[in-house]
Amino acid sequence: MTFRLLLAAALAVIPGPVMARSQAGDAPGGAEFKAYGCAACHGTTGAGGGWQGPRLAPAPLPYAAFLAQLREPASKMPRYSEKVLPEETVRLIYGYLQSIGPGKRAADIGMLNH
Amino acid sequence: MDPQKFSTTRRNFLTTASAGGLVLAHPARATVATAKAPEARGRSVAHAPHPALEIAPVPAPAPSARRPESAGAETAGGDRRFASDYMVDCLKALDLTTISEIPGSTFAALQESIIHAAGRAGSDISMLTVTHEEIGVAFAHGYAKASGKIAAALVHSTVGLQHASMAIYNAWCDRAPVVTLAGSLTNPVARDGFVDWLHSVSDGPGLTRDFTKFDETPRSLPHFASSLTRAYRMAATPPCGPVVLALDLDLQEEEIPAGTRLPPVAKPVIIPPQGEAAALLEAAKILAGAKAPVILVDRAARTPQGLALMVELAELLQAAVVDMGGRMNFPWRHPLNQTSRRGAALREADVVLALEVQDMAGQTAPARKARKLSISTYDYYLKANYQAFEELAQPELAIAGDAEASLPTLIAALRSAIPAAGRTAIADRGARLAAASAAALVASRDAAAVGWDRQPITTARMYAEVYDQIRDKDWALLNAGHFQSFWGPQLWNAKHYYQYIGDSGAYGLGYLPGAAVGAAYACKAEGRLPIVFGGDGDFMMTPGALWTAAFHQIPLLYIIHNNGGYHQEKMKVQLQANERDRGVTTASTGCVLPGLDYAVIARGMGVAGQRVTDPADLRGAIKRALDVVSRGEPALIDVVSQGR
Ligand SMILES: Cc1ncc(C[n+]2csc(CCOP(=O)(O)OP(=O)(O)O)c2C)c(N)n1
Repeated sequence: MTFRLLLAAALAVIPGPVMARSQAGDAPGGAEFKAYGCAACHGTTGAGGGWQGPRLAPAPLPYAAFLAQLREPASKMPRYSEKVLPEETVRLIYGYLQSIGPGKRAADIGMLNH
Repeated sequence: MDPQKFSTTRRNFLTTASAGGLVLAHPARATVATAKAPEARGRSVAHAPHPALEIAPVPAPAPSARRPESAGAETAGGDRRFASDYMVDCLKALDLTTISEIPGSTFAALQESIIHAAGRAGSDISMLTVTHEEIGVAFAHGYAKASGKIAAALVHSTVGLQHASMAIYNAWCDRAPVVTLAGSLTNPVARDGFVDWLHSVSDGPGLTRDFTKFDETPRSLPHFASSLTRAYRMAATPPCGPVVLALDLDLQEEEIPAGTRLPPVAKPVIIPPQGEAAALLEAAKILAGAKAPVILVDRAARTPQGLALMVELAELLQAAVVDMGGRMNFPWRHPLNQTSRRGAALREADVVLALEVQDMAGQTAPARKARKLSISTYDYYLKANYQAFEELAQPELAIAGDAEASLPTLIAALRSAIPAAGRTAIADRGARLAAASAAALVASRDAAAVGWDRQPITTARMYAEVYDQIRDKDWALLNAGHFQSFWGPQLWNAKHYYQYIGDSGAYGLGYLPGAAVGAAYACKAEGRLPIVFGGDGDFMMTPGALWTAAFHQIPLLYIIHNNGGYHQEKMKVQLQANERDRGVTTASTGCVLPGLDYAVIARGMGVAGQRVTDPADLRGAIKRALDVVSRGEPALIDVVSQGR
């Protein structure tokens, strides 16, 4: 198999069972949030984690600050130029983050209170 | 509540093994050297299937294939003695009786002697088969950290040592004592054909010399005795580290004529170097006058006493403790533990005391204006090629000494240095820190709740679900998240020195599976429940380690953090792609590991394996896995999880 074919085969299987995918019930923008790599550092629900991205949801930054961080990021976040991520997509992604509800409260999850 | 002893004590194991049909010559041999007899293995699978796993019975290997594992007592020899028998006596004298190996003809004579010795009544030699030399050394690395004892790894001359070298480098960076014994074919006349030439080298340990504390190729048996004793002493003296001996096959094979006198070998008592007393007094004065002291600690507590001393020091000063996590240095829920607010604690600091901190320049960077003191063995020993010594730190007082050994003197000096008038301020400081750590715990729990019910499963939920079921057992966490998260230290409550052993040292992937099995082997002797959360990428480097756990019946709960690839690196490629304005949508190429089913891989090696994608299924899966582990077997859960 040529390299090109191998690459095509590899890409074809990437969206396999364990890759980030939008789920049924995801608000618009969820797919973009994953496809543009945001989920890689911030998690598919914007929860943030570990050494990487901080929490984005619920209650994301105000839109202007959010956009500014994307275009000229503070700290080690990748820079998202207009070419890479047009503003209409940013709005979609922002909408997705806004749509994420607070979910369960830690106080209501028994096992988080040991 | 007292931790409930986990149920696979050595005694339980023996009962089970006997019931399974093994005839045991002596306990230690049954524990590992022989694993299960073929009939016993077949029967145990048939009579006690793993409940949840639908594992097809592992077919018993043909008896002949297994004979080398168990036939030690039958080896011929009579009263004849060989050099390799003496080598084994020396290993026993130094308690180097836990030995990992993957065979290689360059140490066949020594292997035969080990088998012979392990077969004798009263022997405590345990030889465990591994499937890769990197696993064998990682096994010894994990074992050393979990047991406080040293294991040996037997590796083939050139090709075996080359495989082992990455793991030796991990042990070097992690200051872990590991004795690697490599075969060698020093004498060209003794080489038997072209493969022997391929596997010969003039200076075998030269390969790893840059990252070992000591190596030698002994030329005679007296030389061997001194080399091994020196190797042991170098490995065990802080800063601990790996050593390599190359053992010539000709030498191993020599017959020892009756009446030959060889030097006796005795285990040395190792006294770690203490920091200079006057310097510790000076450090105590500076600390006693501090307004916001921070103790930054990386690999300081080696023993239960070490951990108790750390607590005593911190409480005396009511100082913030920031744990770099090289070892279990400080109780995770102690009110003075400020690890999860490391940046804030360091920014507030006016004095930082760094204890065995490897990257002192980097880690103390947020404490820009603070006076910096260090007690560390790292200054005693470094090598210049590999840059594991990190950026040069310039503490005001660099006390060369083992931190744990220096703590009693430092604490005594502090008791007199703290003025009576300052006690209230110190108590107030402690109260403020306690409030901050309580708030940090609430924040960690809030963060852990986010995305609780979503798929892929969050890393926080993985940790919380496991902890929910093991917290009253005598558990040991064999790593705390690797690159992914720090949920272990944030949500779990480790208070005993053995409950956490740190990470690889060199960030060399492939460490965890072998080290986890080695540490689990140490936990088995203590009846503890070992748990590991490992990356899928890390796992795929050395998955064969699981086989050793299955074959030698080493209980271990192995959770795979399955984020579908080399996530850490994927994020870095994304960063590059965006910087170049090319977009990240295909930047995963080369960083993903799709199509792998770790539960199936585990089962293929005789390990109970399950896959979980829905967070609601975690509880049942963990329960079933724990049932398997409590019967003395390893179990793996492949958790399809968030990237981070
Ligand atoms: C021996 C070795 N090769 C390559 C690397 C580079 N590396 C660092 S992190 C990483 C990905 C690790 O994958 P995984 O264990 O699955 O953890 P994840 O980042 O996905 O959480 C790689 C390849 C390394 N550290 N060690």
